[in-house]
Amino acid sequence: MQRFVYSLFLLTLFLVTGIATVAVAQEGGALASLSVGSSADYYHNLMAVITGNWQEYGQMFTFLQSEWFWKVFLVIITVVPAVFFVHYMIIGAKHFDHDGPQIYFFSLFARIVHFIAAISFSLLVITGLLVIFGSFFGGGTFIRLARYTHLVSAIVFVLPCVLMFFMWLREMLPQLHDISWMFIVGGYLSKKKTPVPAAKFNAGQKMYFWFAIFGGGVMAFTGYVIWGMGADIETVRLFAIIHNVLGMGIVAFYLTHVYMSVFAIAGSLESMRTGYKPKEEVDILHSLYKYEL
Amino acid sequence: MARVKFLCDVERCIDCSGCVVACKEGHHVPVGVNRRRVITLDQGKPGEKSISVSCMHCADAPCIAVCPVDAIYQRDDGIVLVNKKTCIGCGYCFMACPFGAPQFPKGNVFGARGAMDKCTFCAGGPEEDFSAEEKRLYGQNRIAEGKVPLCAGMCATKALLAGDADVVADVYRHRVFQRGSGVNAWGWSKAYKE
Repeated sequence: MQRFVYSLFLLTLFLVTGIATVAVAQEGGALASLSVGSSADYYHNLMAVITGNWQEYGQMFTFLQSEWFWKVFLVIITVVPAVFFVHYMIIGAKHFDHDGPQIYFFSLFARIVHFIAAISFSLLVITGLLVIFGSFFGGGTFIRLARYTHLVSAIVFVLPCVLMFFMWLREMLPQLHDISWMFIVGGYLSKKKTPVPAAKFNAGQKMYFWFAIFGGGVMAFTGYVIWGMGADIETVRLFAIIHNVLGMGIVAFYLTHVYMSVFAIAGSLESMRTGYKPKEEVDILHSLYKYEL
Repeated sequence: MARVKFLCDVERCIDCSGCVVACKEGHHVPVGVNRRRVITLDQGKPGEKSISVSCMHCADAPCIAVCPVDAIYQRDDGIVLVNKKTCIGCGYCFMACPFGAPQFPKGNVFGARGAMDKCTFCAGGPEEDFSAEEKRLYGQNRIAEGKVPLCAGMCATKALLAGDADVVADVYRHRVFQRGSGVNAWGWSKAYKE
């Protein structure tokens, strides 16, 4: 009898503790699920899911695009030409004797490649600026067309870009005399015709070359991703920032190149058409270039 | 002037996606473009909640700030609208928007994005009210008809509220006083006590 009561007591004890354990476990589970349900936590998670990491690049892109990009571009396309205008007024163009002996400077192949690059690159810069100042032109079909042209020009530009890279790689490698060229800014700050240290290409042309090749590569890649939204939104935002910032440098270099070839050195544009440069010009501006008459 | 507002009551939204379908069908939105979508968190777990998201018609809208052609504008009542004839489809608004609201149909030229499409709060666009052009480009103009947006109008649980911000806030506050929110709103007993 005593044994029976003892067994019954143990059985009851087991049952009670068992049920209590299960109940506590369930209660705990229910409470655990409730504790994540606080409104503040929920909205915190929700905003992270909906907006992603907007604060990182989204906010930065919004701020830069709305406040800075167009202003900086406006400064570049007004101040750079203004500086050149002052230069043209004070120092003026360099004139060389075009009737004297001529030196064959650019092969036909180089001229064709450069011509394709010039057209497509100019279109890239112009259409890019049209999109940036789209509101000035009222948007619509005209700016949409500029956007399409931007893409087509970019695709066209890739080919001469690659060809120019291999064609001029050797002559475009930096050399020691480029440093002294930079110290005298290529002799463009004086009217005197003293020979400046430069071989086939001067330091300015070299900077433009490397900027256009590598910058162009980055521009092409970021532009391609932006065009097709071919990455997650964070990356696209970052690429849009890079594309615009790099574009500022490229526009500045482009304006410089145009000023040099069209205005600063009279008749220099002709050499890209005929391939010949006056001997006097080569002796002064590319004094280290070895040629045969 | 009253300012409009969307509010999705997450305690009521049941992820039926009726708002998404109503919007797409009512405005003949092209395939691949969603002016509204439903997001569900903790799906299948206790505490699962859903919310319907579209353009928030922000007070200081980032899309308006970044648009390079000023195609996006805000009405006095806070509704943010896009002029599809000005839009060039550059996608900047999509990059600036925290909510992923701007949508782009596939264009015809080189896979270019077409003009941006987004929630209009059922207020059409810059075209003349009820004109065929407005309907073709932007869908119905229910605001001009004096109706609430389609999504809020058809919401079965009335989770999605749209309209005058003060009235919407009052309705929601009344609900929260009655049933609580977050932890306190959880469970069957809360819903059927009264």
